Amino acid sequence: MNLGQFAWSNIKGSAFRSWVVFLCAMIVAGFSLSTVLIIRGAQDSLRLALDRLGADIIVVPEGAETKVESALLMGKPVKVWMPQENLGKIARVPGVAVASPQLYLSSLSNASCCAVSDMFMVAFDPKTDFTVEPWLKHKLGHELRLGEAVGGSYVFTPEGEENIKLYGYFITLKGNLAPTGTGLDQTMFMTFETAQDIARISKTRAEKPLEIPPNSMSAALVKVQPGADTRSVALDIMQQVPGVTPIESPDMFQTFRQQITGLLRGMLVILSITLLLSLVLIGLIFSMAANERRREIGVLRALGATRGFVFQSILAEAALLAVDGGAVGIGLACLATYLFRDLLMRSLGIPFLFPSLPSLVTLVGGGLVVALGGVTLAAFIPAYRVSRQDPALAMRE
Amino acid sequence: MKIAAALVIVLALVIGLVPQFTDCQSQGRALTLQNGSTVPMKCHWTAVAEIALAVPLFALGAVMAFSRRKESKRIIAGLGALLGLFVILLPTALIGVCASSMMLCNSVMKPTLILSGILVIAISAGTLITSERQVEQFA
Repeated sequence: MNLGQFAWSNIKGSAFRSWVVFLCAMIVAGFSLSTVLIIRGAQDSLRLALDRLGADIIVVPEGAETKVESALLMGKPVKVWMPQENLGKIARVPGVAVASPQLYLSSLSNASCCAVSDMFMVAFDPKTDFTVEPWLKHKLGHELRLGEAVGGSYVFTPEGEENIKLYGYFITLKGNLAPTGTGLDQTMFMTFETAQDIARISKTRAEKPLEIPPNSMSAALVKVQPGADTRSVALDIMQQVPGVTPIESPDMFQTFRQQITGLLRGMLVILSITLLLSLVLIGLIFSMAANERRREIGVLRALGATRGFVFQSILAEAALLAVDGGAVGIGLACLATYLFRDLLMRSLGIPFLFPSLPSLVTLVGGGLVVALGGVTLAAFIPAYRVSRQDPALAMRE
Repeated sequence: MKIAAALVIVLALVIGLVPQFTDCQSQGRALTLQNGSTVPMKCHWTAVAEIALAVPLFALGAVMAFSRRKESKRIIAGLGALLGLFVILLPTALIGVCASSMMLCNSVMKPTLILSGILVIAISAGTLITSERQVEQFA
């Protein structure tokens, strides 16, 4: 009988003790992985959202910063306006390479005119846009025409229909952007021309018309000239264009970053408590098991088993249970986080994107190491103590 | 075996009960036809069909707790895996749920059923493996 078989027969011999250690390893590994998956998913999602926007500075009406960030990140429709003449002023600020206007609109809620309720819609100017247009040219080979739109990964044409009905207007969905795990996945992108056409048609066909104030825009996306300092360009915009707030790309989504940091702290505290309690419990279980098996181990030693063999057999038992429990915990954590990702996003109020396969493999490895390290560490002292005992003394007890 | 049986019974309860409280009908949502009458959305029919799977699964769990024979364990495992597969197929392929990720049937009911179905299949596979290793003792 080799070490592994000996450890396995010990596991089968004390089912209750083994189940408790298995469950502890499962909880520790599963919970650690879930925490990392959620936090990493939220951070990846924020990064992708910033990449998707592609702007160095976003200029929004003064006081609307949080609303716009919520709209872009969580897909909560927003109605903010500023005069279109601001665009010219922004474009003239030294260091600005391109300034492109955007209109933020929303579909009606639960109206029969609309196939989708409360959807965030972004209208852009194809002449100056640098966020959606490059993707369109690459994927579709042409710009969006009147009545056409592209959507985030969650935007779809209703089953059995050819178009999406918004404000009584039929829009053709030409494609879907890659998922970001943010509100951009639930956002529809169209040209100014289409948005104005919807507003015109909605007056006669929708329960409530789509209102776009004349000569207005919701935000301006700014790309700075190569070599220009983004911070000083943002300061210049603030000084030269009244009533607007420029948000630099690295400062975007600060509210959400703080929320993620708060969530991370909370989860780390819970994780530390769980880990500590599990380690203490596993240590106690192995101490009890070692005490129960003193005579058995004494006999083993008398039969010629070395201290090393006894020590290794207890650690092998712990490692087997840790790997099995850890693997089940990790599998459940991955599955549950993936399946309930939409619910997580909504209930925690953070964006979330499930990690890619290579990244997931690394995280799974990390989770297994945590389970294996934790359980083996907890079993180390009892294993060491029992392997050091005098066989003659142990057999007499 | 008793732990596996208890888990199957709990999962059968989850499969039967959770959809009844998370489909669009339970949230007061229904499709309005042009003549003004309302009809339930398809997630409601998935929820109803899941009851038809939850009942035999519950019975299977109960039988599993008292099974000793290798052959009966094998049959129970096969049936369990089949039921688990249908638990997954109903919301994903056979009937489906509403398409919007904002709806409870899509964000809660569907993942719960998929997860429960996978667990039922895993438990059944475990039962099959242990039954294959079992050495029958005849009196």
